[in-house]
Amino acid sequence: MTKKQDQNASFMVRFNQQIYKEDGDAKVQWRGKISHVQDGDEKRFSDFNDALVFMQEKLADLTIEATKNEPTEERESILQKSFSMFKTVRNVAPQFLKETIKNPKKQFSNIQEQIQDQIENLGEEISEKVHFDQWKKASRADYHELQTSISSLAKEIKKLSSKVDKISKK
Amino acid sequence: MSELSDKLQQLTTFYEQAPIKIKTLGQFSVWRNEEKISSKEFGRDKTIQLLQYLISNRHRHALHKEKIMDNLWEDWNDRDFKVALHGIHKALEPNRPSRTEPQFILRQGVSYQLATDSVWIDIDALEKYIIIGNEALSKEKKTAEKAYKKAIELYQGVFLPNRIYEDWSSEEREKTQLLILGTYITLAEIVLDENPLESIRLAQAALAIDNTWEDAYRLQMRGYLAKGNRPQAIKTYMKCEVILEKEYGIAPLPETKQLLQEIEAIG
Repeated sequence: MTKKQDQNASFMVRFNQQIYKEDGDAKVQWRGKISHVQDGDEKRFSDFNDALVFMQEKLADLTIEATKNEPTEERESILQKSFSMFKTVRNVAPQFLKETIKNPKKQFSNIQEQIQDQIENLGEEISEKVHFDQWKKASRADYHELQTSISSLAKEIKKLSSKVDKISKK
Repeated sequence: MSELSDKLQQLTTFYEQAPIKIKTLGQFSVWRNEEKISSKEFGRDKTIQLLQYLISNRHRHALHKEKIMDNLWEDWNDRDFKVALHGIHKALEPNRPSRTEPQFILRQGVSYQLATDSVWIDIDALEKYIIIGNEALSKEKKTAEKAYKKAIELYQGVFLPNRIYEDWSSEEREKTQLLILGTYITLAEIVLDENPLESIRLAQAALAIDNTWEDAYRLQMRGYLAKGNRPQAIKTYMKCEVILEKEYGIAPLPETKQLLQEIEAIG
């Protein structure tokens, strides 16, 4: 039987906020560090998606380790169920963006909902599907920030999906 | 003597008079009436863990026994808890007459807590010194400096280094690390004009804890500049640039770049 402690993963996340001006524009930069308590590994990030990937990797390791002695069929079933957690994380990720990217425009929430819809359809070009014309009064910097966040999120999701596929095939 | 200086003095007096002193930063050790308690006296490691758990949660009044057991034991029973608690009582108060209430671990029904008003704990003192320093910063700079220095003296390393893989200890470790980083930076700023070398040293100490702490690089640059060591100031910027790129994939802040330009312009 797997020990109770081996079924736990704890993470400590540190955010460090930097507010500064660049070309007359006020900017906010987040720097972070996530630590996995049980093995002491840590990762720094300036994009929260990197922290999510780090968490997902540690959680996947936990499930893989805990099921290593299970019969193949049973193991596959458990792994599949565990990976459904990743779907949840994928859906939650845009919420984090929403919290992180501060934007005064009300339309932003609409865009966020659209992003979330798009993310559920993996394999599609996320950033192209977002209707940026709803966000007419936003500054160029806001557009750029959003686009960068979306495309990096899309990349991470693809990476994660292929990882999940790979692990499922094992 | 000002009210804040009084508070500083009270902390020192408390340290001198406390019958139990506990060091948690950099290593774990406990003194009973100035005599170090050996780990043998605690008996089992779980006894030590229970005491460390109570220290980590000293701000949460009255911890329920079941919550404590859930965090420390894989499969617990009342007996395990009783044995560990008895071990603490025996180590801290070996001569306590039977049927008298323990003095240092207080019990209320099935909840327990550490008596922080009679036990001196380094991490607790560190926090109090920083609070005094912050209060004094705008009105009594010398008191602030003294308080911050006391806090830094107490920081001998991470909180409970032998428990870094235990999640119940993480919160306190993280909190203390951030407190001390802030203290290094604030003190380095205070002493920059009159003692740039000390400011450089303090910034270095902050970077030893977190090598991406950009404020510390800027302070070092300003310190080197004040000492007339322009090449070292530029070298510090370059180091900052490399570390930030490596760890986050980002460039230094405009404020840091601006400082570099000012330093370069002097030449």
